[in-house]
Amino acid sequence: MSWQRPHGPTRRDVSRTGVLLRLCAALAALGAALSAPAQPSYALMGQPAPDFALHAAAGDNVRLSEHRGEVVVLSFWSSRCNSCRTQLAALNRSFQTYRSAGLEIYGIGVDDDPAQSREFARSAAVSFAMLLDPAKGVSRSYEVDNLPMTLLIDRNGLIRRVLRDYSAANETLYLQELRALLNE
Amino acid sequence: MSQTSLASPPARRTLRRARTGVLAGLLAAAACAVGALAAAAPPTAPAAATPSTTPPATPAPLATAPATPPAAATEGVADTRGLDQQIQGLKKDVVDLNKDLFVLEEELLFPANTQVAVFLSMDVGDFFSLDSVQLKIDQKEVINYLYTPREVDALLKGGVQRLYVGNLKVGPHELVAFFNGKGPSDRAYKRGASLRFEKGVGAKYLELKIDDQQKKLQPEFQIKDWE
Repeated sequence: MSWQRPHGPTRRDVSRTGVLLRLCAALAALGAALSAPAQPSYALMGQPAPDFALHAAAGDNVRLSEHRGEVVVLSFWSSRCNSCRTQLAALNRSFQTYRSAGLEIYGIGVDDDPAQSREFARSAAVSFAMLLDPAKGVSRSYEVDNLPMTLLIDRNGLIRRVLRDYSAANETLYLQELRALLNE
Repeated sequence: MSQTSLASPPARRTLRRARTGVLAGLLAAAACAVGALAAAAPPTAPAAATPSTTPPATPAPLATAPATPPAAATEGVADTRGLDQQIQGLKKDVVDLNKDLFVLEEELLFPANTQVAVFLSMDVGDFFSLDSVQLKIDQKEVINYLYTPREVDALLKGGVQRLYVGNLKVGPHELVAFFNGKGPSDRAYKRGASLRFEKGVGAKYLELKIDDQQKKLQPEFQIKDWE
């Protein structure tokens, strides 16, 4: 009788390998989840967009509820935010393309000083209205936690998408979502 | 004088929740009724539809087939029409109930013995372009309303806006209104108007009136007590 281990894997070896493989897979999944950018949930998603009326940097006052039936994009910005200017330029391009399809875009400045916001709005040279929210009542009601922050509101007045920060990938996603909402 | 707060936000929320619940229940009942009616309807329409989708194998039924489907189709159309009428009736009931609940909510939140409502009207508007109105009652800001061009147009066409509704104790009170906008020569223009009034046991209605003074070429701001 020999006590030597037989050739080939035993049942115990197979089960050990299986456990190790499962552990590796779980670790890989955990790593992927941790490396992916965390997208915080947005409490107002799918909810009716809170109504507001704001002064524009130039031109007439704007009330959101008057634009029911149109796809509305709200972009919160500040003059101290670097990527806001780039994003506003990108929004301006989409506004010129899709305006005739029923798109309205409003930039909402959250600077404390309205004069500073006006100056930034003038220098941004966008075709859509730039609104001023120095009291931050509107940004509070929309729970703005990042700048720039862009919200897509559908024709029924429901918040359908929120995009935090600005990147090329975000812009592609924004355009896809925008087209889908305009086609609804 | 302190302002009473009978219409507290939790009470209003509870009322709205109850109202939404009642409406949701009614809609669910309507949906059930429609479902039951649809289930109870005789299956004549599908039977009539089948011969047209599946062509007959022999030419003989072709001659007899057109005789039965028109009658079945007419019955089906009549059923659908009846169902539509019932749905419309239910919808009307829901709208009526919603209206009644709204009136009830208003009466509960703003009882007549404490209610004070402020309205705004505008006439001509050649010398003043309205931008916003700030309202203070007993030195406490109750509303600051921003106007859009559409709203100003509606006011100029004769619309009267209910700017504020709230509750006040019986006794003397003071209302101050600040009107912001653009005056003659398109310059920033801010004017105030105030009124001391006595709140009695009944509801109080006040009107802010913006008018043009043709003689002075200036806008005029008045507060009118409707008694």
